[in-house]
Amino acid sequence: MTASATDILPTDQSIGDISRQLTGIPLHFPARRQWWIAMTIAIVLLVLFIVSVIELFTRGVGIWGLNVPVTWAFAIHNYVWWLGIGHAGTLISALLLLTGSEWRNSLNRFAETMTLFAVVCAGIYPVLHLGRPWYLYWMFPYPATMGVWPQFRSPLEWDIWAVLTYLSVSVLFWYTGLIPDLANARDRARRRGWQIFFGILALGWRGSTIHWSRWSRTYRIMAAIAVPLVVSVHSEISLLFAASQMPGWHSTLFPPYFVLGAAFSGFAVVSVIAVALRAMFGLGNLVTRDHLDVLGKVLLATGLMTGYGYVFEVVDTLYGGNSHDLQTLLNRTIGAYAWLYWGAVVFNFVPLQLLWWRIVRRTGWALLLISASVIIGMWLERYMILVTTLYRDFLVSSWRHYTPTFWDWSTYFGTIGLFLVPFLLAIRFIPVISIFETEKTLLDEQEARDG
Amino acid sequence: MTTLPKQWTSIEELAGDPAFAKKIAAEFPVAASFPPTARRDFLKIMAASLALAGLTGCEKSPFVAGIPYVDQPESALPGVPRHYATAVTLDGYAQPVLATTYDGRPTKLDGLPGHPATQGRSDVFMQAAVLQLYDPDRAQSPTRAGEPVTWTDVGAMFSDQRREWQKDGGKRLRLLLSQTTSPTLVRQIRELQSQFPAARVHLHDTSGERERIAHAIAAYGEPLDLHYQLDACSVVVSFDDDFLGPGPRQLLNAIKWAQARRRGDVPGIQLHCAESIPAATGAVASYRLRAAPSRMPHLVETLAARLGVVGASVNDLSAEERRWLDRTGAALNAAKGRALVTAGLGTGAQTARWVAQINETIGASGQTLKLTSPVADPGVATASLDELVIDMNTGQVDTLVILDANPVYTAPGSLDFASALSKVKTSIHIGLYRDETGHRGTWQLPLTHDLESWSDARAVDGAATIIQPVMTPFYDVRSRHQIMAMMLGRDQAADESVRKTWRDAFGESFDAKWQQALRDGLVAGNAPEIQATPVSGKIEPAPPGADGSDIAFRLDPTVWDGRFANLGWLQELPKPLSTLTWGNVVAVSPAWAREVEVENGDVLEIDIDGRKVSGPAWIMPGQADNTFGLWLGHGREQAGRVGDGIGYNAYSVRPAATPWLAQGAVRKLDRKETLAVTQLHHRMEGFDLVREVSVASPTLPAPSPQPSLYPPHPSAKNAWGMVIDIDSCIGCNACVAACTAENNIAVVGKAQVEMGREMHWLRIARYYVGDVETPRSYFQPVPCMQCEDAPCEMGCPVHATTHSPEGINQMVYNRCIGTRTCSSYCPYKVRRFNYLDYRYTPEAPAEPVHNPDVTLRSRGVMEKCTYCTQRIQAAHVAADKDNRDLRDGDVVTACQAACPTRAIVFGDINDPDSEVSKLRRSGRHYALLEKLGTRPRTTYLAKWNDGSDDEDDRT
Repeated sequence: MTASATDILPTDQSIGDISRQLTGIPLHFPARRQWWIAMTIAIVLLVLFIVSVIELFTRGVGIWGLNVPVTWAFAIHNYVWWLGIGHAGTLISALLLLTGSEWRNSLNRFAETMTLFAVVCAGIYPVLHLGRPWYLYWMFPYPATMGVWPQFRSPLEWDIWAVLTYLSVSVLFWYTGLIPDLANARDRARRRGWQIFFGILALGWRGSTIHWSRWSRTYRIMAAIAVPLVVSVHSEISLLFAASQMPGWHSTLFPPYFVLGAAFSGFAVVSVIAVALRAMFGLGNLVTRDHLDVLGKVLLATGLMTGYGYVFEVVDTLYGGNSHDLQTLLNRTIGAYAWLYWGAVVFNFVPLQLLWWRIVRRTGWALLLISASVIIGMWLERYMILVTTLYRDFLVSSWRHYTPTFWDWSTYFGTIGLFLVPFLLAIRFIPVISIFETEKTLLDEQEARDG
Repeated sequence: MTTLPKQWTSIEELAGDPAFAKKIAAEFPVAASFPPTARRDFLKIMAASLALAGLTGCEKSPFVAGIPYVDQPESALPGVPRHYATAVTLDGYAQPVLATTYDGRPTKLDGLPGHPATQGRSDVFMQAAVLQLYDPDRAQSPTRAGEPVTWTDVGAMFSDQRREWQKDGGKRLRLLLSQTTSPTLVRQIRELQSQFPAARVHLHDTSGERERIAHAIAAYGEPLDLHYQLDACSVVVSFDDDFLGPGPRQLLNAIKWAQARRRGDVPGIQLHCAESIPAATGAVASYRLRAAPSRMPHLVETLAARLGVVGASVNDLSAEERRWLDRTGAALNAAKGRALVTAGLGTGAQTARWVAQINETIGASGQTLKLTSPVADPGVATASLDELVIDMNTGQVDTLVILDANPVYTAPGSLDFASALSKVKTSIHIGLYRDETGHRGTWQLPLTHDLESWSDARAVDGAATIIQPVMTPFYDVRSRHQIMAMMLGRDQAADESVRKTWRDAFGESFDAKWQQALRDGLVAGNAPEIQATPVSGKIEPAPPGADGSDIAFRLDPTVWDGRFANLGWLQELPKPLSTLTWGNVVAVSPAWAREVEVENGDVLEIDIDGRKVSGPAWIMPGQADNTFGLWLGHGREQAGRVGDGIGYNAYSVRPAATPWLAQGAVRKLDRKETLAVTQLHHRMEGFDLVREVSVASPTLPAPSPQPSLYPPHPSAKNAWGMVIDIDSCIGCNACVAACTAENNIAVVGKAQVEMGREMHWLRIARYYVGDVETPRSYFQPVPCMQCEDAPCEMGCPVHATTHSPEGINQMVYNRCIGTRTCSSYCPYKVRRFNYLDYRYTPEAPAEPVHNPDVTLRSRGVMEKCTYCTQRIQAAHVAADKDNRDLRDGDVVTACQAACPTRAIVFGDINDPDSEVSKLRRSGRHYALLEKLGTRPRTTYLAKWNDGSDDEDDRT
C-alpha cells in the first residue's frame, strides 16, 4: 500500500477541528434520529434473540431443524461466519499498523469495535449449540474432582482455546488503542459524569512522552500477537471440519481457504460500516473517497484469493478422484443444495468484479451494495460447506435433507441484534474514529506539505 | 378399646393441635363430632370406601406404590432378573417365549430356547408383546355402556343371560371367536355348546387362516396345515407367497431357510419367486418375476404343464414370464425330492390345486412338505362371520359374545358389521382393549394379557405351551378362561380351567408333568403328520382377469391386523423395504406412477365396488404393473392414544368374498400427505456398501492394511466383534425391535421421524440395484461399527465417547454435553441424538417396561449401539463368580439373540476358535468403508449372488 505516500486526508483541516468533531460525536450526538431508528430495530432483534434462547434452553436444540445426519447446521455455520467477520478488524488494525499503512487510522477504531461484538456473537453460538449448555465448563481444564480432563485431540477443544485467546487479545488490543482517545474525551467532557466515566477508562493518561513511548511499544506488541491469531483461529475453525473424514471437509486446503474467506467477509462488513458511518456523521473529511478506494481494492484482492480456494477445491477433488469426494462435489454443484453453492459463487464473486473500476470503488453506495452481496455470499458459503457435506455422506442409507426452522432463523437474526445493540452503543458513547491517530496522519501530511 | 394406647394419624392430632381439629371439622364435619373411638371406626370405613373407590376408578391410576418386603423371599433378589418360560400369542398361535422379569416385572421377551418353533429366536410381534402388557390404554375394568361395573355385576349379568339361553337352548346366543389354538378354550367352548346346543360359534380371523384351510380343502379334500420343510429344500418356488414375511410362520420358515442357505460352501437353497408386491421373500430370491396377482393361476398352470402334470395347459406368456418359468421348471426338475412350490393367499383355490399337483409330481410330499391336521382346529367354530352378520341383520341374535376380536374394525367393509351389531340386544365384547367393538358393545369385559394369564396355546408346529403368568394383573381384568367359566355358570380361579384340561391330558403323575411343562414351556409332542394326496379331477381354468386393477391386501408388517396399533415400538419400526413408519401407504408400480404422474405421498383414492378409501401413494420398485397394494391394520379410531387416526383403514374397502385380492379403480386426488420414512435414498450410487460374491468368484479381494498415525489400542483379554451375514438377512426387523426393547430406545413420534430423528441404534439399510421395474434388493443391518480408530472418539471434546480395553467404543451419557461432533464425524451415521426430551413423549413406552440395566437418556445427549454392554458386564460377573474365562456364546447381544436367520454373530475376536473369528476368516468377509481406516469391529459377510450374472436374465 502506498496510500501513506500520497495524502489520504484533506490537509486543509486543523487538528483541533478533528478533535472537536470526533469527541463531539459522543458528547453532542449528531444523528439522534437515525441512531434511534437503528437502535429500535436492533433492540427488536435482540428481544427476538432472547426469546429464542429461552425457548432453546427450555426445550432443547430439537427446536432447530437438525437431524441425523445433519447434526451441525445454523449454530456452527453462523459461528464461523461471525468469527470470520470479526477478523477484519484485527487485520486492519494490527496488520496494517505493523506494515505502517497510515490510511488505516481512520478505520481501525470501528473495525476493532465491530470485531469485538462479532466475536461475542460468534462466541455465544457454541454455547447455544450444545445439547446440555449448562455443562459448557467441562470443556475447560478445571481441576475436576474426578480427575477428568478435556479431550485434547478434539478440534472443538482447540477451538475453545483459540477463540477465548482471540477474544481476550482483541479486547486488550482494542482497549489499548482507545486509551489516548478516552483521555481526550475526558478532557473535553463538560459534565461531571462523563468526566468520571472517561477518566476511569483513560487510566490516568496524560499524554507524556514516556506514556506515548510505552503505549506505542505495547500497541505494536499486541498487534504482533493479534495478527498470527487471526490466521491460527480461523485455521483452527476450519479444522472443525478438516479434521474429520467427511467428504468435502477432509482437505488440507481448508485452513487458508477459511482464513481468506474470513478476511474477505470481514472487509466487506468494514466497508459497509465505513460507508454508513461516513454518511451518518458527515465524516467525509476523515473517511475519504481514497479510503473507500483502498477498501475496495482490499475487498477485491481477498475476494479473488477466496475464489482461488473455490477453484482449487474442485481441482483437488477431481485430481484426488475419491468417489465420495466426487459425490459431494456433485451434490454441491447440482444437488438439492446447489442454490447454496451457486448462490455463494454469484454473491461473492460476480458483483465483486465491478471493483476493478476505480469509479465504483470510490462511490459509497456501490461499495456498500457490493459488500452486502459479499456478506450474503459468505453466509451462503458457510451454510453450503456444512450442509452439503453432512446431508449426504458415506452411507447412502442415512442421507437426509436439512431444513432450518423458524427458531433457526430467529436465533440467527437475533444475533444480528446482539451485534448491533452494543455496536450502536459504542458509536454513541466512544469516539468512532481514532482521534489521535487520525490527527497524527494529518499532522504527518501537513508537515510533508509544508516541508 | 379404651385401654389401648392413644392412636393418632398425624403429629398435629397427637399434640391436640386445635388447627388440626379445625381442619378435620372443615373436611369431615361428621367426624369432628365423633367420640375418639368412633372416629377411628369412621376412618376405617373411609379407608375401605376409598379402596372400593379405587376398584372402580382404577382406570386412572394403574400403578400402585409397592411395599418393600419385610422378609425377603430367598429366591427373589432385587435387580437380579428371573426368567420364565411361557408364550404370547399371534393369530392364536403360541409364540413360546422366555420372559425376563425384574422384581416381578417383565421387561423383555425372547424366543424360548429349545422350543422347535422358535429355537430362541424372535420376531417383531414377540418383542413388542411386553409393551402391550403395560399399555395404559388397555381396558382396566369391566364396563357396561362405558360405565365401570364390578365383576359381581358381570356375574349377575351372565346368570340372567344363562336363564334366557336355557329357555331355547341358546338358539339366540352367538359366540364370535378369533382364531384360537388353546385346548382349554376349545374344551370350554365345547362345554358351552353342550349346555346350549342351539348356540352357534362363528370364527372371524383377519390373517387368512380360513382361506388357508379352504385352499387345503380344495387341493387335498380335507382341512390341513401345510408345513414347509425349507431346511430339506434346495429349490423353492413361491407364487406370491411371502413365507419369509411377517406372521406366525415367519420365524420357523426363516430359521429353516437360513439353515438350508448355509448348507455347504455355496448357498444350499435357491428361491424362485413370482411376486406382485415386493416383500421379504422376493427380496432374497435368486430369481424374481414381477407378476400381477391375477397372473399367478396362469403361471402356475403353465409350470404344471411343463412338469408334466396331467390336464395342465400352457398359457400365453410374456418373454419375461417364459424365461422365468423355463429356469424354474428346469430347477424343479433337477431337484426332485428337494424342491417345494408354494402359493400365497391371494392366488386362489385353482392355484392351490395346481401347486398341490406340482408338489406331488416333484416328490415334495413327506420330504419338503409336511401335512398335518390344522393346528388351529376350526372344529368348534362351525360358521363364518358372513353368516353371523346375516343372522344379526335379520334379528336372530339376542346375545353376541365376541371373544378377543374386533370385528367392527376388522370385518370387511362390505359386511358393515357395526350396523349389524346395533341390532343385537346384548353384545358382550371380551378383549384387551375397549376398542371399536368394545365401544359399541353393551358390555366390555377386559382380558388379561398373555403375560398375566393362565392359558395354553399351540405353536405353528403343533407343540403346545402352557401359558403361565409372569406377573399378577395390575388392572381389574380376568383371563378368557375365567370369563368362559362365568358363562358356564362357575366362578373359577385363573389357573383352574387350564389345570383341568391338562389333568385330563397328562393322566398319571399330573403334578410332575405340569411342573415340567411349565419349566420347559413346552408339552412334548406336535401335530401328527397326515398322508394326503391331491384331489384329482379337472381344474377349471382361472377366470380371465376382470376389468380394473388388481388390488391386493396385505397385513401390516409392524402392527399386523391393527391389534398392535397402540404400541409405539411397532408404529415407529421401519417397515421392510419401504422403511415407512407411523402409517400405511398404497403401493403402486413405478410405471403407473410415471404414467399418472404420482409421487410418494400423493393421495390416491381406491374404489372397490363403490366403497372408497384414500391413502398416500408409495412407488414400490419392483411392483407389478396394474397392481396396487393396501395394508390393513391402520386407520384405527379406538386403538388408544398412540394408534388412533394413523393411516387409512383398508378393511373398509375389503370385499368379504375375496379378502386378499380384489378388482377396483384407483385415481389420484389433489392432496399430498407427508410420510415418515427413515431411509430416503434407494441406490448405492456406485459405492460398494453391499458387496457380493458368486460361485464363480467366492472370495473378495483381501483388504489392504490401512496406515494410521495412532498406535493401536492395547487389547484386554476379550476383544468384542460382530459379523453380519448380509446373505442371510431377510430384513424382518426382529433385531431392531429387540434392540428397542433391550436398550430402552425412545419412541419419538411421527413428526420427529419426519425430521430424521428416529432413535434406533440399529437400522436395516435397504438398497436397490438395477432398474426400478425389476431391481434387486439388499438388506444391510447397520449397528455401531465400534471402530478401533474411531473418528467420534477423536472429535469429542469432553471424553464422553471413549475406547474400552475390550475394543468397544463407549458412550458416557452423563459426560456428554451434546456437541454432536461424534455424529458429524461418524462415517456410518449410527449415532442418535436426543434433540428433545424423548423420555416423556406422548408416544413413549410406559416406564415399567424399561430395562433397569440400561440408563434412560435425557435431552441433549448422544447415544448409540453399545454391543449391549450390560449383557457383557453381566456375563463377566457370572464368569468371575465361577472363576473362569468367558466362553464363546456367553455374551449374546439382543439383536443377535433375536435374529431368526442367525445373520448376526457376536463374540471374542481374540479367541481364534470363536464363531465370530471363524467368520472373520471367511472369503466373504469385508469391512464397510474399509478405506477410511477406521478398522471397524462390526464387519460383514458379502451376499451370495447366486442368480444369473446377466442382469437382464434375472427377472
